[in-house]
Amino acid sequence: MPGTVEIPKEKWTGAIRQVTLGATADQGGSRARTVTVGGETTLPFLFFEGAIPNPPVIALEVQDSYPADWSPVLLQAWGDALRDPATWARKAEELGADLIMLRLRGVNSNGQLTTTAQATATVRAVLQATGLPVIVRGPGQAERDNELLVAVAEAAAGERLALGLCEDKNYRTIVAAALAHGHLVIASSPIDVNLAKQLNILISDMRMPLDRVLMDPTTGALGYGLEYTYSVMERLRIAALTGDSMTQQPMICFVGEESWRQKESRAASGVPAQWGDLEKRSVTWEIVTATTLLESGADIVVLRHPKTVGVIRNTIRKLMAQ
Amino acid sequence: MCGLWVYEMGTSDERRNRKAIVVFKPGGQVIEVEIGTLLSEAAVLAGVPLNLPCGGQGRCGRCRVKIEHGSVSHRGGVRLSTVDREQGWALGCQTVIKGDVVVLIPEQEKIEVEFKPRVVGAERIAIAAEFSGELDPSIRHVYLRIPPPSLADQTSDWDRLRRELVLQHGIQNVSASLSTLRTLSRDLREAEWNVTAVLDMGDPILDPCAHPRLIDLLPGDQTDRCYGVAIDIGTTSNVVYLVDLRSGRVIDRASAYNAQIQVGEDVISRIIFAQKQDGLQRLQRLVIKTLNGLLEELTTRNQIPPRQISKAVVAGNTTMIQLFLELDPRYIREMPFIPTLSQPLPVTAEEVGLAINPQATVDCLPVVGAYVGADITAGVLASGMYDTDALTLFIDVGTNGEIVLGNRDWLITCACSAGPAFEGSGVRHGMRATAGAIEEVWIDARTYEPTCQTIGNLPARGICGSGMIGLLAEMFITGIIDKAGKIRRDLPTPRVRVGDHGGEYVVVWANQSAVGTDIVINEVDIENLLRTKGAIYAGFSVLVRSVGVELADVEQVFIAGAFGQYINIEKAIQIGLLPDMPWDRFHYLGNTSALGAFYALVSRPMRRQVVEIARKMTYLELSADNSFYDQFMSALFLPHTDLTAFPSVIRLLERTGS
Repeated sequence: MPGTVEIPKEKWTGAIRQVTLGATADQGGSRARTVTVGGETTLPFLFFEGAIPNPPVIALEVQDSYPADWSPVLLQAWGDALRDPATWARKAEELGADLIMLRLRGVNSNGQLTTTAQATATVRAVLQATGLPVIVRGPGQAERDNELLVAVAEAAAGERLALGLCEDKNYRTIVAAALAHGHLVIASSPIDVNLAKQLNILISDMRMPLDRVLMDPTTGALGYGLEYTYSVMERLRIAALTGDSMTQQPMICFVGEESWRQKESRAASGVPAQWGDLEKRSVTWEIVTATTLLESGADIVVLRHPKTVGVIRNTIRKLMAQ
Repeated sequence: MCGLWVYEMGTSDERRNRKAIVVFKPGGQVIEVEIGTLLSEAAVLAGVPLNLPCGGQGRCGRCRVKIEHGSVSHRGGVRLSTVDREQGWALGCQTVIKGDVVVLIPEQEKIEVEFKPRVVGAERIAIAAEFSGELDPSIRHVYLRIPPPSLADQTSDWDRLRRELVLQHGIQNVSASLSTLRTLSRDLREAEWNVTAVLDMGDPILDPCAHPRLIDLLPGDQTDRCYGVAIDIGTTSNVVYLVDLRSGRVIDRASAYNAQIQVGEDVISRIIFAQKQDGLQRLQRLVIKTLNGLLEELTTRNQIPPRQISKAVVAGNTTMIQLFLELDPRYIREMPFIPTLSQPLPVTAEEVGLAINPQATVDCLPVVGAYVGADITAGVLASGMYDTDALTLFIDVGTNGEIVLGNRDWLITCACSAGPAFEGSGVRHGMRATAGAIEEVWIDARTYEPTCQTIGNLPARGICGSGMIGLLAEMFITGIIDKAGKIRRDLPTPRVRVGDHGGEYVVVWANQSAVGTDIVINEVDIENLLRTKGAIYAGFSVLVRSVGVELADVEQVFIAGAFGQYINIEKAIQIGLLPDMPWDRFHYLGNTSALGAFYALVSRPMRRQVVEIARKMTYLELSADNSFYDQFMSALFLPHTDLTAFPSVIRLLERTGS
C-alpha cells in the first residue's frame, strides 16, 4: 500500500556566526574580494533541516621561508615557488584557493630568527601578490607569536587578516593587536568542547566581537585521532545549533599540517609494499582527512598539496548541490 | 526616621545644581554638597571617609551607614535586605544625596559583627557545643561501697565486684580484660573498697550479645566526671573534641595537620606508601602521634588526666580508618575497590596506642564503601538530612570531596578527588583556619588594593580556606584574573608581578605579615583551587542528574569542611564552588565528621542511626560515570563554562564592568 513517509526533522534554534575574512579597498583593506564563512543553521549538508548560506572554503598554506622539512612529494609539486612566499601565494590563488594561510616559521633559511621587519615585509609581499584574504599564523611559541603578530597586525591594519593561534595560555596580546588594527583571531584549543568554549568566552571578555573569531578545535589526521576531532567538532556544532552562543564560531582545520606530518605521507621506503605509491598515498591521506572534517562541520580547510585542492573543491561542490 | 526611598539609576538632571546639607553623626561634621553627590564622596569632603574595601562598587557592604533623616536615592540594593532598608541602612558608595540628610556612621566592628553573617550570605560555623537530644552515652560511672572480704566471706575480688554491681546497680554480665584484672585487687584495697567502676555498657539494641565491660576502677566517688573524645581523622586535618559525657558538652577542641602528610598528600599516595616495608606501621604511628599530640594539648589545657577519658569515637574516610586500625588499605585502591570491613569492631585504646585510658573503648563509625567513609556517615548524622522531607544536598569539602543527596527516604552518595587546597595544603601560603589566617578579603576594583581580615585580628600568617574563596572571588570580580584563572600581567599595580610560578598577586606585603615574607597567591595555586572547586561542582552536578533531578530542585544545601570559621556563600557561588541559588538555601555546618562522632559518643540512639544511615546510602562510582570528566572540564572555569548556570554572577560582572 503506497503511503507518504515524513522524515523527522530536527528543529535547531541556533546558528553559526558569519565571519568575513579580508577587506576590500572600500572597506579599508586591499583585497580583491572577501570571503564569508559560517551562517549555518543545520548540521553539515543536511539542507532539509536548515540553511548553509556559505559553502566551506579552501585555504592553501604558504610559508615565509623554504620548508625543507616538508615531504618530498610537496617539495616536488610546488617546485621553486616554495622559495618565495609571494610567488607561492600567487600560484596558490591560480590553483583555486579561496584563502592564503601564511605561516611565519620564526626562523629563516639561514637558521636566524625572523625579525619583525622581515615578517611584516613578507606579509606585505603576500598581500601584494594575491587579492585573496590572508590568514597569518605565528611560529607557535608564545613570545615569538606575540612579537611577530603584533607587528604584522599593525603593518596590515584594516586588512581583516585572521591572526593566530590564540591559546588559553596566550591570547591577550594577539587579541588586543587584532582589536586595535581591525583583524580577526583564531582561537585554538586541544580537542575538547569545554576548552574551546572557554577560550571563546575569554576572547569575548576582551570585547572582541564574536563575528571576528574563528575556532580551531585542533585537527587529528587520518589514523592519528581523526575520529576524536570529528566527534568534538560534531559536539561543538550540535551545541552551537542548540543555542549555546559561545560555541557558534566557524571552524578552521589545519588539515595539511597534520596530514603531511604523518609517516604515511612521508615514508617512501621501509614500509610494506601494500602501502603503494607515496604520492598517491600521501595526497589521499590529505583528501580523506579534509573530506571527513568537512562532514563534521569544518568551514575552512587549510591544505598543502595542489592536487588536493582540486579534489576537495569538487567534493564541496557536490556536497553543496541540493 | 529614614527619608523617602527612591530606587533609580543615576541622578535627575533638573536638580543637579541645587545644594544640600549633609550632617555626619556621631562626629557632627557638616558639609554642603551638590545634589546628586554620592554619600561616600560627601564623607570624604567632610573629612570622615568611609571604608571602601571593594572600591565603591556596592559589593562588600562595609560602607554601611544609617540614614537618620533626609532624602536619598539608592542605585541598587543587592547588599541590603528589605528590613535593613526599612531601618534606614544604606551603602555609602551606592547612595545618592537628594536633599538635606543626617547620616550615622556606625563603628566598623559593629558592621562586621552584625551584618556579615546574615546579609553577605556568610554563615558562622554552627558547632553545637552541646548535644540537644537525649544524652545516652555507653559509658557509665557507678559508685560502689563494697563490703570488704572477711573469713566469713571469702568471695574473690572479681566475683565480689560483679556481685555488688548486680546488687547495687542491677548491672549484669560485666567482663574485664586481663590487664584490668591484674591491678584489680590492689585498686580495690587502695580505695578501701569505695570505688567508681567505669563501664562501657555497649548497646544491647545494636548488638544483643553486647555486655558491659569494666574499663577502670577509680578510688572513691568519681561519678561527677566522665569524659570521652570525638575524633575526626581527615586526610589533611585531624580534629579532637574533648567531651564531658555527663553534660554532653564539648569542653574544648584542638586540630592539627595529619602527620601522615609527610609521606603523601592524598589517600592514594598513602595507600601506596602502606605497601612499602613497614609502611603501614609507620602510617599508623604517624596518625597516632598526631592524635596523641592533640590529646595531650587538650588534657593539659583542661587539667583532665588522660586516664579519665574512657571512650573515643572515631570518624574519617575509609582509608584513614583502616590506617588508624593498621588494616592494609591495599584493596581500597585496586578494582573493584573493597575495604576490609564496613562496620569496624570496637577496640581498646591500648591496642591502637591512643593516649587515653588504655582500656577505653575506641569505636570507629561505619563506612559505606572504599571512598565514602565514616566521615560521611557521621556527616549525614550531624546534618540531620536523614530526618527531613526536603531534598537536601550535603557537600563535604575535604581532600576528598564527598557528596550526599537525599532525604528521609533515600540517600545517594559519591566521592571525588578534590585535593587539599581549601584546607590550606597545596597552596603556597595556605594554612589551616587558625590564628593569623586570612579569612576574608576585599579588593578595591580601582586600585587593586586588598583589605584582609584575619582570625583573631592578628598580622597575617597565611590564607585559610574561606580566605581563598574570598580572594579568588575578589580577584575574579575585579578582573585581576580572567575566567581561566590567569593573572593579568598588564595591571597598574605592584601587587601583580611574575614570580617563580608564573603570575602572582601580593595579598600582604612582607612588612605587614607575621611571616616576614610577602603573602602571595600564584597561578599554580589558582589552578589547584580551580581543580578543587571544579571536582566538587562536577561531583554534585553528576550526582543530582543521576537521580533525574536538577540542581534547582534542591531545597537545601548543607556545607561541611575545614574552610574556616564560616563560608561566604556569595563568594563561593562567584567562583562556581556552589550552585547559583538563593543564599538562604545554604547552611554551613563546619566539621560535620567530628560533629557526628561527637553525637555518636554522647548518644547510643545516634550511634545506631549512623549504622542505619550507612545501610541506607547508595554509592555512585564517578569513575564509572562517563559524564564526570566532561562536567569537570566544564567546571574548570570561573564561574563555569556554562555561564547560564550562574546568572547572578554574570549580572554582577556586567554591573561592575569587569
